[in-house]
Amino acid sequence: MNDFLEVLVVGLGNGAIYAMLGLGLVVIYRSTGLLNFAQGELAMFSTFIVWTIWNAGVPMWLAIIGGMFGGFLIGILLHQVAVSPLGDPHEKPLAVVIVTIGLFLALNGAAQLIWGTVDKRLPPLFGTGQVTIGGVSIQWQKIGSLLVLAAMVGLFLVLFQRTKVGLAMRAVASNSESAGLCGVPVPRILMLGWGLAAATGTVAGVFTAPQLGLGTNLMQLTLIFGFAAITLGGFDSILGAVVGGMVVGVLSSIVPQYVSAFERMPLAPAFILILAVLLFRPQGLFGSKQVQRV
Amino acid sequence: MRSTTPNWLRWGGGALIAVVLIALPFQFEAFRVNQFITWMCIAVAAAGLNLLTGYNGQISVGHGALYGLGAYAAAILVTRTTVPMLLTIVIAAVICFVAGVAIGLPALRIKGLYLALVTLAVAVLFPALVEQFSSLTGGGRGLALVVPQEGCPRGRPECPVRWESPFGGLENDQWRYFLALAITVVAFVLVANLVKSRVGRSLVAIRDNDIAAESSGINVSRTKIITFGVSAAIAGVGGGMLALLNGNPRVNPTSFTLLVSIYLLVAVVVGGASTVIGPAIGALVYGVFTDVIGPELPGRFENATPVILGVLLIIQMLVAPNGIVGQFKEIQAKMASRRSGGAPEVHNGATPVERDTP
Repeated sequence: MNDFLEVLVVGLGNGAIYAMLGLGLVVIYRSTGLLNFAQGELAMFSTFIVWTIWNAGVPMWLAIIGGMFGGFLIGILLHQVAVSPLGDPHEKPLAVVIVTIGLFLALNGAAQLIWGTVDKRLPPLFGTGQVTIGGVSIQWQKIGSLLVLAAMVGLFLVLFQRTKVGLAMRAVASNSESAGLCGVPVPRILMLGWGLAAATGTVAGVFTAPQLGLGTNLMQLTLIFGFAAITLGGFDSILGAVVGGMVVGVLSSIVPQYVSAFERMPLAPAFILILAVLLFRPQGLFGSKQVQRV
Repeated sequence: MRSTTPNWLRWGGGALIAVVLIALPFQFEAFRVNQFITWMCIAVAAAGLNLLTGYNGQISVGHGALYGLGAYAAAILVTRTTVPMLLTIVIAAVICFVAGVAIGLPALRIKGLYLALVTLAVAVLFPALVEQFSSLTGGGRGLALVVPQEGCPRGRPECPVRWESPFGGLENDQWRYFLALAITVVAFVLVANLVKSRVGRSLVAIRDNDIAAESSGINVSRTKIITFGVSAAIAGVGGGMLALLNGNPRVNPTSFTLLVSIYLLVAVVVGGASTVIGPAIGALVYGVFTDVIGPELPGRFENATPVILGVLLIIQMLVAPNGIVGQFKEIQAKMASRRSGGAPEVHNGATPVERDTP
């Protein structure tokens, strides 16, 4: 039983990471209606920035803020240079896929050029200690990731529900044309969305790196888990990203433990989940249903 | 539609390309020839992807997995059965066809960006699958292409597959090159004929407007599924070629990562989606950057190829979304209309249907 609980806790901790990456994906989907295949690589890149700052002797939390800021700027830049000139993503899905995949390649390659192919070591933000509750040992890092996730969700909810910028972002998401006519600076809002998403991804990367080692393929698996999370939760739902992330985290840590066919494929349950949700409930658990006009 | 290329240029150009392709293996060393063979494998797999993504509009970011499936199928058949080597590529294609149909079924309901997402997951999943079935695939260490044969070094019963030319005077690598070239030419001729046919036109019709296609009597579901299968089969042929012909006696899961799926997409898009010859041009661009220019770059920039390809891909999408071949044809059409004095006959829509009549 304790074994099971420990696997469950590991799953929840991983789920928090998937949810963080998923939050970034949701922010971009909400503002631009686009699945950002480069989100993982953006996160990886800014995690390397965190490492560089930390490696120079700066305290970890300050390095993370620096990395988030760096990611924010890169996100904005990439949106302005590569994504925004494309126009409506749902008109030309192939173009969007290609451009975000181009970004994927470029970021991945650039990170390899700058930081080399040898994995870097990034220490866990909350140390390596653990606490035992009722016979189940839980790493501080896992508890920390859940707390950070809660804080991020809180911030996003405040941003979207309580601030003028958040209102503008929601307006752009629901109808960018009318939002523009009402005086919302649409391009700037979209740009902000990309910046925010990249900054969010940084946190996901900082929590992933101590587990996997900081290399250029840091986020490739995590990205799929993040996509599985938001597919389940609904592509445009903040709450959905969190719930989806937790479910995916728990599933992909429990299933390989008990089903020998998935022993070496923690990704398989996530994949089956993506496929099943898209087939039978494309809007996910909390997403808004898309109506297609002919 | 009549092509705008003058006849003498068409035949002359074709003859020139044929001469170059035949002369290549005699002009370069074996390691270069092996690289050429790999480029051809990429070209064939990309041609398969182009059929699906270019002509039929179903986006796949996971063709690297089908490419890998073909490679592993051929390699396993060669090492475990007595099926003749070239026949294993055919069987690999059939296996990939079935796999493609299996992926194509859910693709009926999952479209556009979401299909890209699912296929992306397939691409990431593939190396894990290889790991999972390591008793069959050799797992992370790769699968050695060794078969029982006579005359192995140090008296061992098994050693790497060898391709001895039945014709005198051809080196091992040259013979493999010509085998690969023959398969590549067959694959491209097949695709060219397919897209020119009624089936090809229905692929494009479905891509442009599936409801209109359905109402003009095309069985959209069946066509889409079969396209997925055929596309996968062609990718599998590319993979089989890679496993057996590229001179590396080992099939590794690292040859079929997500990056490979992405490179296939790069080849299609950079060369020119929904043009017959585009994927070949794209594979050439990929190969030249990866194998020729990359290693020549100074010191630490040796690994710059992915950055260059990524940036190239983005610029190309923004500046010339129809790829090298598409752009070339557009310029040609403009020049032709200027000559004839009429209004420029340029298709501004995203989908000039008969753009690539060869």
